[in-house]
Amino acid sequence: MTALGFCDVRVSYNGVEAVQGFNDLLHSGEWLCLIGPNGAGKSSVLRAAAGLVPYTGSIAIDQTEIPATSARWRAQHIAYVPQSPLIPHDMNVHDYVLLGRNPYVGHFSSETKQDREVIHGVLERLDLIDFSQRRLGTLSGGELQRLVIARALAQEAPVLLLDEPTSALDIGHQQQALELVDKLRREQGLTVVSAMHDLTLAGMYADRLVLMHQGARVAEGSAKEVLQPNILSEFYGVSARVHHEDDGTVVVIPQRTSLR
Amino acid sequence: MNKLTKAGLAGLFLSLTAVMAGCGGSSTSTTDTAAVTADVYPVTVGDLTLTAQPIHIISLSPSATEMLYAIGAGSQVVAADEYSNFPAEAVALGTKLSGFEPNIEAISGYSPDLVIISYDPGSLVEQLKTLNIPVFVAGAAMSLENVYEQIDQLGVLTGHSQTAKDVSKTLQTSIEDAVASVKFANPPLSYYYELDNTYYSVTSNTFIGQIFNLFGMRNIADNVEAGNDYPQLSAEVIVSSNPDFIFLADTKCCAQDATTVAARDGWSGLKAVTANHVVLLDDDISSRWGPRVLDLITSIRDAVAAANS
Amino acid sequence: MNRNRNSFALAGALLFVAMIVGTMIGPAGPTWWRIPLEFANRLPFIHVNSGVSKADWNIVWLIRTPRVVLAAIVGSMLSVSGASYQGVFRNPLVDPYLLGVAAGAGLGATLVFAFQRGATRNWIIDPLPLAAFIGALVAVLVTYVVGTAFGTTRSSTTLILAGVAVTSLATSIQAFILQRNTDVVRQVYSWILGRLSSATWGDVRLVLPYVVLSTGVLLMHRRLLDVLRVGDDEASALGTNVRRVRLIVVLAATLGTSAVVAVSGLIGFVGIIVPHAVRLLAGASYRVVIPLSILLGAAFLVFADIPSRVLANPAETPIGVVTAFFGAPFFLFLLRKRSNAR
Repeated sequence: MTALGFCDVRVSYNGVEAVQGFNDLLHSGEWLCLIGPNGAGKSSVLRAAAGLVPYTGSIAIDQTEIPATSARWRAQHIAYVPQSPLIPHDMNVHDYVLLGRNPYVGHFSSETKQDREVIHGVLERLDLIDFSQRRLGTLSGGELQRLVIARALAQEAPVLLLDEPTSALDIGHQQQALELVDKLRREQGLTVVSAMHDLTLAGMYADRLVLMHQGARVAEGSAKEVLQPNILSEFYGVSARVHHEDDGTVVVIPQRTSLR
Repeated sequence: MNKLTKAGLAGLFLSLTAVMAGCGGSSTSTTDTAAVTADVYPVTVGDLTLTAQPIHIISLSPSATEMLYAIGAGSQVVAADEYSNFPAEAVALGTKLSGFEPNIEAISGYSPDLVIISYDPGSLVEQLKTLNIPVFVAGAAMSLENVYEQIDQLGVLTGHSQTAKDVSKTLQTSIEDAVASVKFANPPLSYYYELDNTYYSVTSNTFIGQIFNLFGMRNIADNVEAGNDYPQLSAEVIVSSNPDFIFLADTKCCAQDATTVAARDGWSGLKAVTANHVVLLDDDISSRWGPRVLDLITSIRDAVAAANS
Repeated sequence: MNRNRNSFALAGALLFVAMIVGTMIGPAGPTWWRIPLEFANRLPFIHVNSGVSKADWNIVWLIRTPRVVLAAIVGSMLSVSGASYQGVFRNPLVDPYLLGVAAGAGLGATLVFAFQRGATRNWIIDPLPLAAFIGALVAVLVTYVVGTAFGTTRSSTTLILAGVAVTSLATSIQAFILQRNTDVVRQVYSWILGRLSSATWGDVRLVLPYVVLSTGVLLMHRRLLDVLRVGDDEASALGTNVRRVRLIVVLAATLGTSAVVAVSGLIGFVGIIVPHAVRLLAGASYRVVIPLSILLGAAFLVFADIPSRVLANPAETPIGVVTAFFGAPFFLFLLRKRSNAR
């Protein structure tokens, strides 16, 4: 069953088309990673799904098209983790994750006991329960990353969108974050769409890759199919070797073009 | 305090004067003050009725203060505002109420039975009425008739109506004599009246302006700015109109005199400067409308007479 | 949550004390300790001999008490309005006058002062508060139309800039009018500095409905203001209609602020100091900041009004001067704290 479907989605900024007719169907539990050079339109696809930019075409969840007017409905079905989340320094961890319940709380009401139980569960699962009263300004980068994911999980949405989830993290925390998302996806059947710069990591975790260039899809398939030197050279302008590990991992290694 | 606002009071709130005892002028006055000789209470002026002679009077208007002392009601005054600096007995009261930012509690602390103001900065009248304190609004005079009338009204209210009538009659006669004693020049003598040293002036529509009209003088500020009776003139306008007289009403506030005027660039060649027709006026006297308006008129008369000779 | 309840109770108690103290201190009237006794005496079923004469009681009840009540109303409205503006614009330096309320009200007042010559103050409706109120609302309306026409659908910076532009325009028109009507400069200046000295029970009745409505709406939106703290984009992705929330909050805050400005002039600093003080004391969550701003703002202005009527006795010190006197050092303190905290 299609968990998430894009049908001829186009996004324009000031008359310039950033995404040209994006089509895709994801089944439940699938992890799709969008790759491509800067300005390819990866973020725009995610932002369109999150309702942050206007688009033409349709995006549907479980075959129900997202209503343009209900931000609540969208937030209950799609959780968006932005590239640079705005972290209010004087908010505490509990309140931040509580924001994830916003789609379920009445405009002028407060959270219910059930909402608080969801928060508690999420904090436990992500090992943040001891931080509950800590202020965000005191957390490290890795802890903040877990935190933003925690908030997204609190939305209890079947679709998770991740915009460059690892750009600001060191190698250890990158692995931590991606392992976490993968684990949760398997446990809960989340459908994940991410946009990433690190091609090796993208290939390692995603089920399928889509390479975008100037708003159009130019290549798609498994890591082995998409991460090929000639393709990378054509669209990224990079000179790279591709190495295949025994366990199937595809490693992209940029090559020096100048003499040492 | 800025000169221009003090003089500006002279042009304010015609309505308040109108509310009290008919419009300014010697025409139909609803209070026929001639009928009251010995002061019998209750008395009524406009819509204010006093049932007994007031003996705790508060004056928040320097002009009214001067009038009260002139008509013999000085002993009934218990407090005055900070600008009531004449006569010396008023200063000796030692009170410094504010007419512009009145503190209603402080006013009521004197248990007044009559409060005289010249303008209401913001529900002062309403608050005084709430406390049942009688208030009389002696608004800024628009003409000499207003001045005589206010003196008479205060006389009626304070129980000195006969003295007041004498004072206003004498004042009127003195003024008429002063005016009659000089010949009107032809063509009319021109004058520039200076409110402050940034060249704010008055037109002949104002109280001050009308006094100069008595002497048939021409105001260079007339028609400079339509609709504005307190225009700020530019130095060029003043110099190019080359007035016969310069009257300085900023001698106290802004330390101006004949020397400082002559020192201004381009002013040393003016007729008024070379012929020594720069007249110094007392800031206070020229911004009030009390009995001392006679001093103002005398100064003008003397200046004009000297010019004629 | 218990901590919050304690804070509210404490703030409420402080306000109560402030109001009692406010009615006890003044340049005239009965001895201070007799006043609460007389208040008690006026309650049903209680008889206390306070020794306060009828005339003295009039001073307390007809002059001082409406002033204290109005101070509480104005203080609370300006504070909650400031807190709300800071919430929707995510900018700690924003105050309730930002979008043109101050300049618009000032212009309205100036027009009345300049052109009221010949008109009596005994009109059925006093034109002065009405003009100030309308001026404030019109200015904000213009700001909103201009600010949302050119900006992106969710940009708050554009709105603030539009507010700056409208403020400059209104101020320059005001200056032009004053230049041609210099005799009213003193009155306008006095109005701008703000005053509670002319407060009457009529003023209280006039503003109460607007303030109650406005404060009610803002209280209802306090949870949503917390959601806005993560930025327009994320708040939107979390299911909130950011533009609508901003519009409603701005409208409500402006309505209430315009009403109090109409009767008390422009009292500055309250809308900035109080919400920040609340944050320092009780944390930055709007669920707490909004209600506490209401209570503490009221208490603050009631206290600030006391030196206003006593300091330069028998003259009044404009209350805007008193609040600025507290405001300036407070800003410095705030700056130091923020730079140290990094």
